[in-house]
Amino acid sequence: MSDHPLTPEILESAPRRQGIVKKMTLFFALMGPGIITSMVDNDAGGITTYSLAGAEYGKALLWSLIPITLALIVVQEMCARMGVVTGKGLSDLIRERFGAKITFYLMIVLVLTNLGNTMAEFAGISASLEIFGISKYISIPMSAAFVWWLVVKGTYKSVEKVFLGACFFYAAYIICGFIIKPDWGDVARQLVTPTFSMDARFLTMLIGVVGTTIAPWMQFYLQSSIVDKGLKVGDYRYARFDVIQGSIIVNVVAFFIIVVCAATLFKDGIRIETAKDAALSLYPLAGKYCSWLFAFGLLNASLFAASILPLSTAYFVCEGLGWEASIDRKFIEAPQFYAVYSLSILIGAGTILLPNFPLIKIMLFSQVLNGIVLPVILIFMLILINDKKLMGHYTNGPISNTIAWATTVVMIILSIFLIVSPLKL
Amino acid sequence: MPYEENFFFLSEIIGKPVFTPTGRKMGKLFDLVTERSEIYPAVLGMIISFGLKRNLSYIPWNSVKTLFPEAIVLTENERQFFPLSQVNENMALREELLDKQIVDTHGAKVERVNDLHLLISNHQVRLAHVDVGLRGLMRRVGWERMIDRAFDWLFAYKLPNRFISWKFVHTLSTHPNFVRLNISQTKLSQLHPADLADIMEDLSIHDRVAIFNSLDVETAAEALEETDPKIQKSLIETVSPEKASDILDEMSPTEAADLLSDLSPEKADRILEGMEQEKANDVKELLTYNEETAGGLMTTSYLAISPETTVDETLTMLRTQGSSLDIVYYVYVIDKDETLQGVVSIKELLRAKPENLVKDIYETRLICAKVDDNADDLAEIFAKYGIRAIPVVDESNHLKGVIRFKTILEILAPELGK
Repeated sequence: MSDHPLTPEILESAPRRQGIVKKMTLFFALMGPGIITSMVDNDAGGITTYSLAGAEYGKALLWSLIPITLALIVVQEMCARMGVVTGKGLSDLIRERFGAKITFYLMIVLVLTNLGNTMAEFAGISASLEIFGISKYISIPMSAAFVWWLVVKGTYKSVEKVFLGACFFYAAYIICGFIIKPDWGDVARQLVTPTFSMDARFLTMLIGVVGTTIAPWMQFYLQSSIVDKGLKVGDYRYARFDVIQGSIIVNVVAFFIIVVCAATLFKDGIRIETAKDAALSLYPLAGKYCSWLFAFGLLNASLFAASILPLSTAYFVCEGLGWEASIDRKFIEAPQFYAVYSLSILIGAGTILLPNFPLIKIMLFSQVLNGIVLPVILIFMLILINDKKLMGHYTNGPISNTIAWATTVVMIILSIFLIVSPLKL
Repeated sequence: MPYEENFFFLSEIIGKPVFTPTGRKMGKLFDLVTERSEIYPAVLGMIISFGLKRNLSYIPWNSVKTLFPEAIVLTENERQFFPLSQVNENMALREELLDKQIVDTHGAKVERVNDLHLLISNHQVRLAHVDVGLRGLMRRVGWERMIDRAFDWLFAYKLPNRFISWKFVHTLSTHPNFVRLNISQTKLSQLHPADLADIMEDLSIHDRVAIFNSLDVETAAEALEETDPKIQKSLIETVSPEKASDILDEMSPTEAADLLSDLSPEKADRILEGMEQEKANDVKELLTYNEETAGGLMTTSYLAISPETTVDETLTMLRTQGSSLDIVYYVYVIDKDETLQGVVSIKELLRAKPENLVKDIYETRLICAKVDDNADDLAEIFAKYGIRAIPVVDESNHLKGVIRFKTILEILAPELGK
C-alpha cells in the first residue's frame, strides 16, 4: 500500500462519487412541500370561491390575484426559511417563544378550522362524483378509505409522489380556459386594473378569495413538511424556488377558473351556489368536455386536499402535545399521529353522510375562524422571523418585512370586515 | 417555609405577586434561578417582573421569606433588587427549560418540558423533576381539573404524571454566558451509540450540532456510525478537519470510507491526511471498491496471524488490540503473502492450551466471499453457514477484509431499527 497521500483523481474515479444525475434527482427530490402546499389552496372551498367570484363579478376580481400571489410568496417563504434554518416546525417555534397556553388554544382553533375544511373536501368529492352519477354513499366511504390507506401505508416519499401527480391534474382548468376562448385582451386589461366596490357582497367575495389563498394551517403544514424532509440551510434556495413556483402556479389555476366562469356563467347571467352548479352549468355553454374537466378538477382537488388536511391536523396536534409526528414512522411508533389522522378523516367524511347536515353554515364558520386566526399567526411569524437569536443572519430584510407587515394589516382590516359584515347584513 | 406540601410545580408560582412584609407589591414572579448541577440543583434566587413594560430584576433567595400559600413575601421592606446580570451562568428555569426540548438520557428520547417539579426542604428549594407528561401540559393551560373530571367520568382513569428525574436530563439550550460543565458529558456518553444517534436525528439542526460537538472523540465516532448518512455528512462538516480526522480514526474503516465518499474530494483528502497512516491506508483501499459489493461492505479491522503463532500469543494480541478491532470472534490465519489459510474462532482459542500452535487448531474448511460478491450472495452465505463474519478474498485468495453480520442486516432490512 502506497504511502502517498490520496490524490483527488483517485477519489474522483472511485465508483462511489456522486454524479450529475444524482444531483438532478436530488433537486427534484427536494422540491415538493412548496408545490403541494400551495396547490392544496385550490381545494373544494377554493374552487367554489373562485367559481362564484367569476360567475358573479366576471373578470372584476382578477386583479386581486396579483397582490395575493405576492403576499402568498412572502408568507410561505418566511415559513420555508424558518423551517430550513431552525429545523423546527412552526408550532414548536411558537411554543418555545410564546408558551404552552397560547400554542394550545391556537391548536384548538386550527383543528376546528381544519375539520370544517375537511368536511368541505369530502362534500366536494361526493358532489363531483354525483355529476357522474355516483351516489355519495359509495363515493364517500371509498374515497375516505383510499385517503386513509395512502398515508397510513405510505412513506413520505411515496405520499409526496402521489400528491405531486395530483398537482398535474389541475391542468384540467387550464385546458378548459383555452377551450372557452375568452377575450384575452379584456382579460389582460382586467388583470391589471383594480376594481373596487364598497358593496358588502363584493367585499365578502374579495375576503373569501384572499382568505382561501393564504390559510393559516398551510403555513404550519409547509414548515412541518420541510422539517420532515430534512432540508438544511444549504438546500434553502431549492426550498425558496419551490415555494415561489408553487404560489404562482396556484394562482394561475385560480386565474383560469375565474376566467372560465366569467366568460360563460357571468356573460349569460347564470347564478350558481356551489362548484357542482358551476360544473353542471358549463355543459350547455361550453360543451361537455369543459363540464367534465371542471368536475374532474373538483374531484382531484377535493381528494388531494382531503388527504392533506387531516395530515396537517395530525402534525400540529402531535407537535403541540409532544407526540411523535411523521409519516415515515410506522403505526406503532407514532400511534397518536395516525389516530388523530384517522379520526379527522372519520369525522370529515362521516358528517357528510348525515342527512340535513348544515354544511354551508359549518364552512362559513370555518372561514370566519380562518380569518380571525390568520393575522395572529402572521404576527407571531413576524416576531419569530425577526429574532436574530433564532434565525442568525436569515432574519427578514426590510422589503420582506414591509410586504409581510402590509399583508398582516390588510388581513386584519379585511378580517374585521368579515366578522362585522354578517352582523350588518 | 410554613407550607405542608413538600413538592410544587413551577407553573403554580409563576405570576404570583411578590410583596414586602408591609404589604407593598413589588411585582410578579417571572422565573426561578438555580445553580447548574447534576443532582437536584438548588434555587439561588428569583426573577420578578414589574410593571407593564416587564422590567425584570433579580432577588437572591435569602431575601425570600415565604412562597406559599397566597403570595410571595420578602424578608425586608427595602428594595432587594439586583440587575439580571447577577444571574450569570446560572440557570433561569423558565427561560431555559419551560416549553423547550431536553434529552432524557435514561429513556434515550427527546422530550419537551411541560412543567418543572420542585422540592422544598427547610428553606431550600431544589429542582427535582422535569414534567413531560400530558398532565403537565393540562396543568399549564389550566385544564387539569377539567380533564381529571372528564377522564374520571369517562374511563375512571386518572392521567398520571410523567416525570424525568433531573439527573437524567441533558439540557439543549445554550445561554450566552453558559459554560457547560464537563461532568454533564458523561450523561450522554452513558447512552448506547444507537440511542444517541436516534436522539441526534430527532433534534433540530442547532441542537444536534451542539450535542455532537460536545461529545468526546470516541463517543462521537460511535454515534456517527449509527447515524443516517445524510446527517453524518452534515455533522462531520461542522467540525474542524483535524477533529474530523480524529473522529474517523476511531470509526470502523468501512464506515469511515462510506462517509468520506459522500464528501467533496478536497475535504475528504484533508481529513485523510490528518488520519493515522495505517488507518488512512485501510480506508483508501476500501474506497476503491464499489459500495454495493463485498469490497465496499467489508472492514479491515480484524486480526490476522501466521500459522506459527501460539494460542497464547494470539490471545494476548486480541487483548491488546481488541478495543479497536471490529471482529474479535474470529481470527484469520494467513501466510506471508496474505493468502487466507484458515480461521480460528475465539471459542477454539479459549479451549486450547496456551502453548499450542494455531496451525494445529485452525479450521481449514474455508467459507469466504469474493470482493465483488453482492449483498444477496453474502446473505446466502450467512444464512447457509450461520457464521458471524465472512472473510473476503480476491482472485488469488488473498485476504482483503471481513464482513460483519450486522452490515448484512442493515442491507437486507434497512427499515428496521430506524
